[in-house]
Amino acid sequence: MSHLFDHHGASGKGYSQPAPVLPASELSLPDTLVRKKAPRWPRISEPEMVRHYTWLSKRNFGIDTGFYPLGSCTMKHNPRVNEVIAQLPGIADIHPHQPEHHLQGLLSIYHEMQYMLEVCAGMDQVTLQPVAGAQGEFTAVRCIQEYFRLRGEDQRTKVIVPDSAHGTNPASAAMCGFEIVEIPSRVDGRIDLDALRAVADETTAVMMITNPNTLGLFEADILEATSIVHNVGGQMYYDGANFNAILGITSPGLMGFDAVHFNLHKTFSQPHGGGGPGSGPIGVKAHLADFLPGPIVKKRPIVGDEAKHAVDDMWFGWYQPTHSIGKVQQWHGNAGAIIRCWAYYRRYGNGLKTMSEHAVLNANYLRHVLHREAEAAGVGDMIVDGAETKVAKHEFTISLEPAKERHGISAMDIAKGLLDMGYMAPTVYFPLVVPECMMIEPTETESKETLDTFAIDFAKVLQVDAETLHAAPITTPVRRVDEVYAARNLCLRHPYDDE
Amino acid sequence: MVDQLPNLGREAEMLATMGMSSMDDLFSDVPDEVRIQGLLPLPDPQSEEEIIADARRLLGSNVALGQRVSFLGAGLYRNYVPAAVFQLITRGEFLTSYTPYQPEVSQGMLQAMWEFQTLISELVGLPIANLSLYDGSTAAAEAITCCVRVHTRKATQKDTVYVSELTPPDRMSVIENYCQGAEIKINMLRHNPDGTVMLSSAQDAAGSCGVYVEQPNPIGVLDGGLPLLKEIIGPNTALIVAVQPVSLGLVEAPGAYGADIVVGEGQPLGSPITGGGPIYGIFACSKPYLRLMPGRIVGRSIDVDGKEAYCLTLSTREQHIRRHRATSNICTNETLIALMGAMHMSLLGPEGLHDLAVRNMAACTLGKQKLSAIEGVHLPHASSHHFQEFVLELPGKASECLSYLDGVGIVGGFDLHRWYPSQPNWLLVSFTDQTQSNEIELLAAHLEVWATSQGVTA
Repeated sequence: MSHLFDHHGASGKGYSQPAPVLPASELSLPDTLVRKKAPRWPRISEPEMVRHYTWLSKRNFGIDTGFYPLGSCTMKHNPRVNEVIAQLPGIADIHPHQPEHHLQGLLSIYHEMQYMLEVCAGMDQVTLQPVAGAQGEFTAVRCIQEYFRLRGEDQRTKVIVPDSAHGTNPASAAMCGFEIVEIPSRVDGRIDLDALRAVADETTAVMMITNPNTLGLFEADILEATSIVHNVGGQMYYDGANFNAILGITSPGLMGFDAVHFNLHKTFSQPHGGGGPGSGPIGVKAHLADFLPGPIVKKRPIVGDEAKHAVDDMWFGWYQPTHSIGKVQQWHGNAGAIIRCWAYYRRYGNGLKTMSEHAVLNANYLRHVLHREAEAAGVGDMIVDGAETKVAKHEFTISLEPAKERHGISAMDIAKGLLDMGYMAPTVYFPLVVPECMMIEPTETESKETLDTFAIDFAKVLQVDAETLHAAPITTPVRRVDEVYAARNLCLRHPYDDE
Repeated sequence: MVDQLPNLGREAEMLATMGMSSMDDLFSDVPDEVRIQGLLPLPDPQSEEEIIADARRLLGSNVALGQRVSFLGAGLYRNYVPAAVFQLITRGEFLTSYTPYQPEVSQGMLQAMWEFQTLISELVGLPIANLSLYDGSTAAAEAITCCVRVHTRKATQKDTVYVSELTPPDRMSVIENYCQGAEIKINMLRHNPDGTVMLSSAQDAAGSCGVYVEQPNPIGVLDGGLPLLKEIIGPNTALIVAVQPVSLGLVEAPGAYGADIVVGEGQPLGSPITGGGPIYGIFACSKPYLRLMPGRIVGRSIDVDGKEAYCLTLSTREQHIRRHRATSNICTNETLIALMGAMHMSLLGPEGLHDLAVRNMAACTLGKQKLSAIEGVHLPHASSHHFQEFVLELPGKASECLSYLDGVGIVGGFDLHRWYPSQPNWLLVSFTDQTQSNEIELLAAHLEVWATSQGVTA
């Protein structure tokens, strides 16, 4: 083990700093303001620090390490040129409070990204401000809330979500102050229109739904669902977590949605960074555009001597929507993430559809060979489809319920077995509507060979006996971690010797 | 795009395996009425070389602060981040991983974040820290909703908080958006003319759910009165203090004077400004807030063999489990940027942090000496202490002064008229470890010229 807090080097200076412009003795602070006890941080030299973090990195699994079929999270390859671009001083070393004429390049890229997302989603206006998908949900629901308030429709206090929804949907709507109405999915995993009709009324503000849904199924009845909600005066919200399945094929706008968020870190490949950063722009139809958080970038022809600062002979400026809800992040969103996603989108341009097609091709191919290899190995009966369907979209679910009932092997056991085979495990136990669920999303950046090999290895894991699987993983840096112990014996920071 | 799609050209083979004949078969479930016809109206695909050329051209037209002499801060600061941080952060095992749902293969990031929690905890003087929120503003907002959840039952001013009236409008707007759903009433905490908190206003806050102040505050003042606040507002009212983390190398940790929650913009530790994001929000608290706090937390545990191991813990607060009853909707946070913060903090060590704080404050002190000597310019809060920025009251509009300075290659600071409409002549000038003596001389010289020109026209 390497422990940061075991380092107590004498100098405590991992990098040298120049002298201050005035000696410390010339600085004065009253006693009430002076820090009395220094933080007990480690004292570590650069070579030791580099080795520590390199050691830690080797105990972590990323897309670069191996296949990462984590459903719903879209763990696709992150093109490295995007990282190079994001370190350019024209993005890394700029301040959001600089005047417009200092930031024409950034603003033009923001404008291009707004336009690109509007085109892809069939929306009229995009803001890039929200910094994560969940924040995008919150922002869009806030905009709709203010839209209804301005119309005097204060009785719209409810937000409808399917029981298969991401947890962020009800959490975001509740943060806005809405009451949550959860409707059950049909046995086949699709939206239950009768259940929707039963709850949609004049108190409905929004229905939040993702399509393809969290089971990876396209909701073919989406137009009917949209019209049910619109007929009672409600708004339709598209959770863009699965947008990567349908880019260029269909759009939330065509499906009748009023608002949408994008997970740029999923669909447009901003690296997930071990849990973030993300970026969660939202797009809305024209009737909601005045409520968006500002500022938004607009362009106009240049006038006067603006040419010396302008790019492409246009002027890009910040614009504040009339009835803006205000801000959800203090600055201009995750600019560094937006730049990476801009670079990503430029690689596909009008061919973004090919990206989605290959995401869906890979998911369906893997679904096919996974079942085929399990059958061939004589363990095909241990898994069943999470939902019956001819085709899935960018991800699919399987249920390990037969394995659980017959052999006592759970989805988690299989997940841990896969770790021993050198894979990241798929998402387990989500969506909640599928028992012993495993949600698998290969993404478009995996080769056929990887998918074939994974299917064969998956079948191998299915053949392992229950006792061995319960003990898995055995090849990882640590074996099964005791989460109950962690919660009962809370140790949330380094215990110093005197504590 | 060919380089990104390994199966391009192999579609037929893969489709045939599935008994399909065209890519369209994969979308047979998408009704015709909702199909996009034709190509998206976007430009043609580009190669890597073309993309990077365009990026260099467009981003090259931005004015990077490093190309100029800059005194712009106002919440984000240009501190030096050591090279090792940028090198290590590109390791794919960190960069391309996600939330550690499978702890057995995520020990690296889990341990790094547990160490981050410790570093932040020690820095601010509170026992608990999460793995980051989006930025300082959302951290402030989440702290306020958290303190209401904890205190409102016993509070005499239910669902009510007091927020410093100096809080910048953009940050305030975020706070309001986060608070309105819970119907939290936000009252203003008043300040004295010297920039310090008005203690009589703090007395009004006693019995509310919480008080939000910043140290140093948005006009750069270090408030020696803050250590008195906790006693004034009492044990059932949370004291929330937002910090600039580098300042804590010199300035007392809020935990030491009774702060219950400490938040802040983590950016100066570990991250370039990056146009305002991604950066990371600090959130730390004392024990009573633990089970109602937002965000992910790592706990040290053991594996089945009794070996030291780390995992996410107390997840029942979170949206993926608790759904609409969650303490926050946050899922993806700013882990990678927090990791950069941890790396920077590790390299600094306690003495390095002290030195870094001294360099920031020294530049500010020199700036105060030089700029206050200019005729026609004065410091409205001269009697107060400052860490790295202060207000200059100019003999004319700050916006016009900034335009003048821009013309001579200086990013002169922040026009406080944008925050405080009654102060058109207030300029917020900021100094960091990157500020050189000769840059301060240059600013002073040009300010003098501009101030003189104002005197002439006036």
